Amino acid sequence: MDDEAALIDGLRRRDPQAFTLFFETYADRVYRLAYGIVGNEADAEEAVQATFISALEAIDRFEHHARLGTWLYRIAYNHALMILRRRRPEESLPDEDDALPMPSALADWSTLPEDRLLSREAQEVLRKAIAELPTTLRAAFVCRDIEGLSTADCAQIIGISEGALKVRLHRARLMLRERVSEYFGEWVAPENG
Amino acid sequence: MTCEELIAHLSSYLDHEMDAALVAEVQEHIARCRNCRVVLDTTQRLIVLVHDEGRRVIPASQRSALFERLQQAFLNRPQTLENSNLRTAEDSAV
Repeated sequence: MDDEAALIDGLRRRDPQAFTLFFETYADRVYRLAYGIVGNEADAEEAVQATFISALEAIDRFEHHARLGTWLYRIAYNHALMILRRRRPEESLPDEDDALPMPSALADWSTLPEDRLLSREAQEVLRKAIAELPTTLRAAFVCRDIEGLSTADCAQIIGISEGALKVRLHRARLMLRERVSEYFGEWVAPENG
Repeated sequence: MTCEELIAHLSSYLDHEMDAALVAEVQEHIARCRNCRVVLDTTQRLIVLVHDEGRRVIPASQRSALFERLQQAFLNRPQTLENSNLRTAEDSAV
């Protein structure tokens, strides 16, 4: 029996140690994904709680052909979306067939020193820019570029094809780059003349 | 390769999902196009930044309370028929 099968078996037997391992392994990951979608700590925490409760209720029906982490992320994604819809019921989603706008913020901030880009101010710019992405694009971005999951896993979690995932990720990156460049660009403008 | 084509292929290039011939075209283009080079470099830096700084964890002040709540829910979970069938013979013998 591999580690994951042993963990699932422990959860089914209500072994407290299995629960501790389950929580320690996945709680922060689920929290990050949820935070990326809902954009604040309280809602992300609510999503973690709902995710674990749903998962523990369904663990007896979990089928081994899915991976536990991907299965859990998918539950978390759905809970986060439900919470978000409660908060922002009328968000209009972008038409993914629209032509991509060409980038227009062209200051080269990529060579700014690390401490500037890791400053609290820069992090706040990033956090806000991510939060302002349309939900469909943000989910793809958080899953791939923040959580670092594979395209196949992200597509499965979000419930779309790998091709659609790549399109959303690409649009999210360009949109985010544009927004943060408008801000970070000002930090290099004096040097560029 | 035009600027429009480069922008359309940017993510495939950054994710190493592009064939060698196209990679060569991208590199040739950015060697002579400052704007596309900036878009590529800033996008790449952005991805590294969010990955490194996005390692958010549950705030310590909330973590243990959340653990306790979920542990209680876990331990008090009703036993399902399916679950009881999965119990080992040793458990059943007790």
